[in-house]
Amino acid sequence: MNKTAKGKQWQIGMLLLPGLLVFGVFTAYPLIKLFIMSFFKWDFGSMLEQQFIGVQNYKEVISDPYFRISFVNTLVYTLVTVPAQMALGLLVALCINSITHLKVSFRVLYYLPVITSWVIASLVFKYIFNTEGMLNYILFHVLHLTDHNIRWLDSRWGGLGVAMLLGTWKGIGWNMVVFLAALQTVPTELYEVSGIDGAGAVKKFFHVTIPCIRGTILFALVMLTIGGFNVFTSIKMITGGEPGHQTDTILTWMYYKAFSTGKFGYSAALSFIVAVCLAILAAVQFRLMKNREEG
Amino acid sequence: MKKRLKRKIAKETLLLLFLTAGLYIVVMPMVYMISTSLKPNGALYEFPPRFFPRLQEVTVENYQYIIGEGKFYMNFVNSIVVSVTTVAAAALVAAALGFCIARFNFLGKNLLFVFIMLTMIIPGMTLIVPQYELAVWLKVIGKLTGLIPFYIAWVIPYSTFMIKGFVETVPRELDEAIYIDGGSVFTVFFRIILPLAKPGIASVSIFNFLTAWEEFPWANTVINDNAKRTLPIAISGFFGQHQFTQWGYVFALSVLSLIPILMVFIFCQKFFVAGLTTGSVKG
Repeated sequence: MNKTAKGKQWQIGMLLLPGLLVFGVFTAYPLIKLFIMSFFKWDFGSMLEQQFIGVQNYKEVISDPYFRISFVNTLVYTLVTVPAQMALGLLVALCINSITHLKVSFRVLYYLPVITSWVIASLVFKYIFNTEGMLNYILFHVLHLTDHNIRWLDSRWGGLGVAMLLGTWKGIGWNMVVFLAALQTVPTELYEVSGIDGAGAVKKFFHVTIPCIRGTILFALVMLTIGGFNVFTSIKMITGGEPGHQTDTILTWMYYKAFSTGKFGYSAALSFIVAVCLAILAAVQFRLMKNREEG
Repeated sequence: MKKRLKRKIAKETLLLLFLTAGLYIVVMPMVYMISTSLKPNGALYEFPPRFFPRLQEVTVENYQYIIGEGKFYMNFVNSIVVSVTTVAAAALVAAALGFCIARFNFLGKNLLFVFIMLTMIIPGMTLIVPQYELAVWLKVIGKLTGLIPFYIAWVIPYSTFMIKGFVETVPRELDEAIYIDGGSVFTVFFRIILPLAKPGIASVSIFNFLTAWEEFPWANTVINDNAKRTLPIAISGFFGQHQFTQWGYVFALSVLSLIPILMVFIFCQKFFVAGLTTGSVKG
């Protein structure tokens, strides 16, 4: 018996080994290395010899006005795109849930932006919002709403606005599918009961639908917040952080500092701050979700 | 009763109209991309700009150029190699991890699970600096092997988490039957778990394929050689190569690179939705 138990342990170890190896070398080790790097003067000039400088990198990050701009930009991006995606996704899901024809077709078509890659979607938006692009032509020459071509991508909030529009457009489909699944779990009897009580559609939505899908709403909130802080490719492709780093987000700024100026220590400290912030944020949101489930 | 039916039809029509109107906005950018890719290059800077090309203008010259250039095949093959390898390896490795976490107790199991959850939360890009140093040290900069293991490590947490959930739905009695017959842990894994958790592994694999196929930041950092480029960096490389961006070429290449994704999406729709909604509707 003891022998077979030992054999089993060995077999379990063999099954775990490849995963632990890949995960350990390519994720766990870099994470530890990130932490260590953040306390060293580590840049292109000192690739071979690094000097321990304590929390100097963290101080530099916190007092950097460009970091603050990128942090505010990321925060605004998240605060705008997350509720917008959820509201629009839920709206589409409610509509699709209430129709009897063409359900599947609508679901598939609304999902298309989600599977379009970020690089491609960003380029399409850049093309549309080009100063000589389609949107300006319509606003200026067709509708006469403006008297000149608006330089959408040449200002902080213009550039970010286009990125936020893209993020929202790309996220609606995911929210729709997730909320559609949640709506199917709402018991129809509840609607019937509240219908007898004379509740209208709006009242039903707030008193029956929302409480029943609360778990899904929180799940989407956690996932989308993480996604919001991950914004990188769209900014990089659409504005590249221009003008003058005004549209940089945390990750594009981190990338710029690391790979354009060679400040690896600075970037490591910045990355570590982001990682810790997100871990805390997600933990709080998960805790909230747990409490709601129990309460 | 008749009145109620009438109301129902009115409601359905209204909702269908509303959804169709919304759909115009949602698919408009994609349609614009396709229509631009079918315009002759001279028409791209025309004034006034047109949403659709004139019928007699419609041309496939952008596609002919892209395919004729030859680079396209290399980029396409690179993307296929990277994505397929990532998907296959990640499926096997994550299934083994998910199986062990779901079924056995071992030293450090809780620590491993917490770590997996943690790496799902923190943005993968925050690790890019130490990962770059690692890639330099491993001498894989500029090679496809500089992409594949990193992608596998990247998708393991989510895949493991999902597959673990699917393994838990497989009845333990099936495992026990194999053990009683003298089977090993491997027998259970290959004969019971892999076949029965197949839908879960399939849905995870679709997402991994999408992730690897469209990955941009890491590939853009590691690959500088034209011949080793994957499609996303080939597309972004086209952009801004000349003084005037050749939007026709950019979008023709984009459309071509979306075809495999669309095919996967259409043929595997069933698994797609299953994978999306697991874990989201609890509570």
